[in-house]
Amino acid sequence: MSIEKTNPDRRRFIGSLAGSFSGLALGDLMARDGALGGVLHHPPKAKRVVQLFMAGAASHVDTFDYKPLLKEKDGEPWDPGEKVELFQSTPGACFASPWEFKAHGHSGKMMSEIVEPLGEVVDDIAFVHNLVGKTGVHSQGTLLQTTGFNFPGFPSAGSWVSYALGSESENLPSFVVLPDHRGLASNGAKNWATAFLPAQHQGTVIRPGNEAPIADLFAPKSDFINPKNDRAGLDAVSKLNTIHANARPGDDRLSARVRSYELAAAMQLSATDALDVAKEPQYIKDMYGLAPEGPGVDDSGTISTKAETEFFGRKCLVARRLLERGVRFVQVWSGNDNGFPRRNWDSHGDVKRDHAPLAEGMSRGASALIKDLRQRGMLEDTIILWTTEFGRMPCSQGSKGRDHNPFVFTNWLCGGGIKGGTYGESDEWGFRPQDKSRATSVYDIHATIMHQLGIDHERLTVRNNGIDRRLTDVHGHVMNEMIS
Amino acid sequence: MMKPLGYFALCGSLIVCSSQIAVSAPNFSADIAPILESRCLSCHNADEAKGDFVLASKATALGFQEGIIPGNADDSLLIKMVSGPDPEMPKKGKSLSKEEVELLREWIQGGAAWPEDRTLKDNPERDLDWWSLKPLIKDQSPKPGDQNQVDFYVNRKLKEKNLAPLASATPQTLIRRLTYDLTGLPPTPEEIDAFVAKPDWEKLVTRLLASPAFGEKFGQHWLDLARYAETHGYDKDKPRTNAWPYRDYVIRNFNEDKPFTRFVQEQVAGDALFPGDPDGVIALGFLAAGPWDFIGHQEVGEGKIDGRIAKHLDRDEMVSAVFNVFQSTTVQCAQCHHHKFDPIRMEDYYRLHAVFAAVDRADRVYTGLPPDQEKEKSKLQKQVNELQAEQRALDSEMKRKISAKASGIDRRLTKLKEKYGNGLKPQYGYHSLITKNQTEEKWVQVDIGKARGATEVRVIPAFDNYGGIGAGFGFPVRYRVEVSNDEKFSKDVRLLLDATGKDQPNPGTGTAKAEGDGKPFRYLRITATKLGTRTNDYIFALGEVEILNEGGAQNFALNAKVTAKDTIEQGVRWGKSNLVDGIFFRELGNEEAMSELRELQSKRKVIEKELSNPETINRIAKIKEELVPLNEQLKKFPKGEMVYAAAASFTGSGNFRPTGGKPRPIRLLHRGDMTTPGDEMNPGAPPLWDGVPDLFFEQAEWQEQEARAELARYLTRKDNPLFWRTIANRLWQWSMGSPLVNTPNDFGRGGMEPTHPELLDYLAAKLRDDPDQSLKSIVRLLVTSEAYRRSSQHQEANAKIDGNNAYRWRANRRRLSAEEFRDSILAISGKLNTTPGGPSFQDFIIEKPQHSPHYEYHLHDPNDPKSHRRTIYRFVVRSQPQPMLTTLDCADPSISIPERDESTTALQALTQWNHRFVEAMSGNLAERLLDSDEKVNHACQLALGRLPNEEEFAILSDHLKNHGNESFARLTFNLNAFVYVD
Repeated sequence: MSIEKTNPDRRRFIGSLAGSFSGLALGDLMARDGALGGVLHHPPKAKRVVQLFMAGAASHVDTFDYKPLLKEKDGEPWDPGEKVELFQSTPGACFASPWEFKAHGHSGKMMSEIVEPLGEVVDDIAFVHNLVGKTGVHSQGTLLQTTGFNFPGFPSAGSWVSYALGSESENLPSFVVLPDHRGLASNGAKNWATAFLPAQHQGTVIRPGNEAPIADLFAPKSDFINPKNDRAGLDAVSKLNTIHANARPGDDRLSARVRSYELAAAMQLSATDALDVAKEPQYIKDMYGLAPEGPGVDDSGTISTKAETEFFGRKCLVARRLLERGVRFVQVWSGNDNGFPRRNWDSHGDVKRDHAPLAEGMSRGASALIKDLRQRGMLEDTIILWTTEFGRMPCSQGSKGRDHNPFVFTNWLCGGGIKGGTYGESDEWGFRPQDKSRATSVYDIHATIMHQLGIDHERLTVRNNGIDRRLTDVHGHVMNEMIS
Repeated sequence: MMKPLGYFALCGSLIVCSSQIAVSAPNFSADIAPILESRCLSCHNADEAKGDFVLASKATALGFQEGIIPGNADDSLLIKMVSGPDPEMPKKGKSLSKEEVELLREWIQGGAAWPEDRTLKDNPERDLDWWSLKPLIKDQSPKPGDQNQVDFYVNRKLKEKNLAPLASATPQTLIRRLTYDLTGLPPTPEEIDAFVAKPDWEKLVTRLLASPAFGEKFGQHWLDLARYAETHGYDKDKPRTNAWPYRDYVIRNFNEDKPFTRFVQEQVAGDALFPGDPDGVIALGFLAAGPWDFIGHQEVGEGKIDGRIAKHLDRDEMVSAVFNVFQSTTVQCAQCHHHKFDPIRMEDYYRLHAVFAAVDRADRVYTGLPPDQEKEKSKLQKQVNELQAEQRALDSEMKRKISAKASGIDRRLTKLKEKYGNGLKPQYGYHSLITKNQTEEKWVQVDIGKARGATEVRVIPAFDNYGGIGAGFGFPVRYRVEVSNDEKFSKDVRLLLDATGKDQPNPGTGTAKAEGDGKPFRYLRITATKLGTRTNDYIFALGEVEILNEGGAQNFALNAKVTAKDTIEQGVRWGKSNLVDGIFFRELGNEEAMSELRELQSKRKVIEKELSNPETINRIAKIKEELVPLNEQLKKFPKGEMVYAAAASFTGSGNFRPTGGKPRPIRLLHRGDMTTPGDEMNPGAPPLWDGVPDLFFEQAEWQEQEARAELARYLTRKDNPLFWRTIANRLWQWSMGSPLVNTPNDFGRGGMEPTHPELLDYLAAKLRDDPDQSLKSIVRLLVTSEAYRRSSQHQEANAKIDGNNAYRWRANRRRLSAEEFRDSILAISGKLNTTPGGPSFQDFIIEKPQHSPHYEYHLHDPNDPKSHRRTIYRFVVRSQPQPMLTTLDCADPSISIPERDESTTALQALTQWNHRFVEAMSGNLAERLLDSDEKVNHACQLALGRLPNEEEFAILSDHLKNHGNESFARLTFNLNAFVYVD
């Protein structure tokens, strides 16, 4: 331990973080440098991250992980040679994907027809088909992917990145969350919470297409607030708080609070601009698959490709606009509806019905995002991570569904110095990793992303309740073969 | 533990006198292994393999390039790393002693003998040489006299550090500071005036300590630690409607100043130590306060590994909370390996799991049942639980056998359904309200518009897989079908089908048909006289009704008007109109397939019959029979008042079942992995100070409650130095603004050392030795010190030496906490309702409660008076925390929060300026100011605790004049002078 035991300055900073003291407050507020103070552990390849999260557990064997054996053995008893304990059911028969798979790109990567739009960019994508989870419980699987721990109380990966690197823009939050407008994932806001990191690193929820996309960005409906008294009020607050601060020298928190109102006003302008998708040319809107009727496209009582494409595409487009303006980390959620019909990747009942529209919408938006970033020269320093809480089984549940598969599933990454290809295979069924001793964990994915951002995942730690916590717990290896 | 030093003293003399002859190298097992195991293996073990240098076996240790070079100690990396003036290793703890290094050197020099079969494990020494583990330091202060003992210690330190303490703050500043610190509310203008006129500090302290608001302020500190919330968290974040009694208990105990030992013992083992006292049960809300995984416990259950992982995480959460909160020890680090810094071994950690091996988190009765009834009730409950468990086991065993044999049939059935199945459309049909009375008559009626003659009436059952029922869901056991031309069926009623005489078999996917009598009718009514069974209650449900004419060419019922005695009308699935929508469950759409299906189904029935052991069937029937009177008896007990707490007996549901007090077997888990269990563990706790044993019981059998009682006794022992220091540090922190030990939940080697060790121990010993163990008396001692009353102003010379004010040369200016901000605004705008206790108010609307409730804060009306209570009484949601309070650094209830963060962000500015709550309260403050002649002065007195200065007055009155009362009020709530306390 190299940390002095009684030097509160130093320990406070990297330690409990409670109570900002003089000298820190302004830095906290601006959050431009982050905890690493702009000095990274090594030269970075990437500057920002988009996490695309398929809530409910997307099926790898119906999308990116081609398993011809399932077709061959379709309907036959499924025997992987071990006792299998599933979340809801006992294993049913071997269940072929309802979709055709086809080769894409120079690499000839086999992908399902429901993710075909990603075929155009497939050579830039690094597939990891041997990812393993810890349990088949949604809440735990989701937290594991978002925070690196399968129980609550830990900062989101986005919070860690924000904490380490700060924002590239002082007028926008550094970590933004674009939830599915129909609901939140398991654990709700815990998936973008800061836990023991300072509050400004929590994910700021933005709901593109909503009347008020960011909470409290503007005055609420009011009998008395008007633009004139709003402006005059802010001026008066600024003057009075400056008087207060000047009478209390040596306390940066007070002037930081004065500044916070100025930044708030600046954020009103820049966030409004960032969310103004109407400014985009038509061909861009078409690329992302936005519906002519906009975010109000009707999805009541049904699940349709058109609506899912509009919802996911709009979020991807907004994500690009935010990234362009300096946001560090954007989390995009797909499929958080637990009502009826279930617009959710959790296809226990009917993979065909649920996965087709969701995957078609997702792949259109994700593909557009990759192409769009590339044409703007941003793909080289932006990492896109596609993830989900776990995979789904190669056998059937009931006649048309698949149960949870935490034993193996797929992630893919793209951009930010990630090399396309396949890194890690699942077994012939898509049931477990091909080589159990070389399975990939979420820690490896996180370690690799942090590495690309110039951060040594083992060295970015914050002490909480006596433990030096990090995103990767005590695990994680950078996947060197995947990075250039 | 072998002491290498003692050995060396002996060995060293041998070496000296025998230096002429060949020196026998040290013995590996006796001399070398203990050093490596206690000092190196915590990192250089096979799992962690730090630097790839693994000292676990001969092969790995000697296989590392130049790590250990037999015969050449000086060039061996091992020696290089541990020797020299500033040795690089071990990374943690003190360096190796000279003697230890010498032993290693000689061993290598002598050939580094290592028996082939000897592998080493991490085996750290129990090193108690750390400040927090030593007995409390004796008081050095002079006898109490004029000087507050706190000032004696603080001033001594200031002098030592060359710091000059600031003078006392003004009375106006002081009353605002003290009122916020002790009650979390602003002082009223009248209180301020009275105190400024006659600044009697002792009297003010006495008044505020006696105020009920004291418990609300200090209770919030405790609830932050206790990770208190009122929903489960995780997926399906369900409300805990009985959590609040624990919150009230905490507030009440701070107000009543319950002796601290008792307060803590109640929260760990109140039911065992204080039977009959409701507080002994309510207090166990502490153990249960943290998150709980509904899916893992209730849906998956202990029968599966995922369910057992959920149980493990659950116990870990309780164990960590107890040790982090009560004695600032991070036991949870010893889950996968021995603690890296502190003397806590994996065994210690898993012994603590054994302490909580029989409890879960659930609603339990704390009062309303006399003790003998309570006993009787839990005895009955236990019987019921056991019978149900037996029934479930028999059932699932039978099902397992059947499905093994019928797997071929099942696959074909699946295939058929897949190919020809029409599937289940969501518009199920009609569904009555649920009732507990099976013979309650219910009816549903179709109006076909005008009188018509029909030849056939078809009554088609509903299909819903709720509770695994499926086909025939809710179909009545007895019923009749009647027609009439009278809407009320009071006259002219003709009976088409009478199935009321005896119980009818459920038609499943079949259809009940009644022939028409050809005579015209307008209304058709189906009356259930004995309802269909759901799980534990009764309903009447139907999929479709068809009224057909000759040959079935026309269905008069299609889209007709439907009325019913009652109906649930739920979503798309259930509604009266679904009865006549032409949509119902058809098993297969192909006649040929249908006959194959029937054939397969009857084959399966044969298998079922074959494999149904009559004994098992009889036993299950017997169990069901036995359960009836038991459940009847259980129902007769008064319900009692419930609290969500740690419990071994409770009403289970799904796969969540109580242990009934029988501890679940606990095994040490290698690397914390459920799939690599080790030895079974008995209850105990880490021996962190001299003289405390590590195991609670000598025998292998123990009582669940007794184990928790032992843990409560362990924590509160007078010789537990951690326990008393922990609370002393917290009381200092809560009163003075920052703690003496800057890591309040960790007094281990990973934490910090106290700035004032003697002062900390003085406070700890004072509380311990106080016969009343009064927390308030310590708080009083602190806030009556000079140190508390200093000005919070900056002073350059002092700041250069101690910029963070660690030594208390000034007071700490602080921002209002999230709760204080909200409570103050309510108080200032005249809306605060100070009613204490009871169920929480909700400042959100719950939407879609069926699956994962959506907690929609933006739909709540901030002017709803029910929500104008103090923030501590709000309903705390885990998955969806209150957005305004979260932005203002409110505690995250998923973890124990010893200290709030105090960040300053643009999002906070937006929240404080634009939040609907602030807007609404601005309106209310404006109204309150209406009658005031001096609005600016009045608002400042309310919000800032003082009058504005000239400059401030000018700006404020200008805004008031130009923009009105409301806008002026909004401005007031955003002032630094309001949100900071000097």
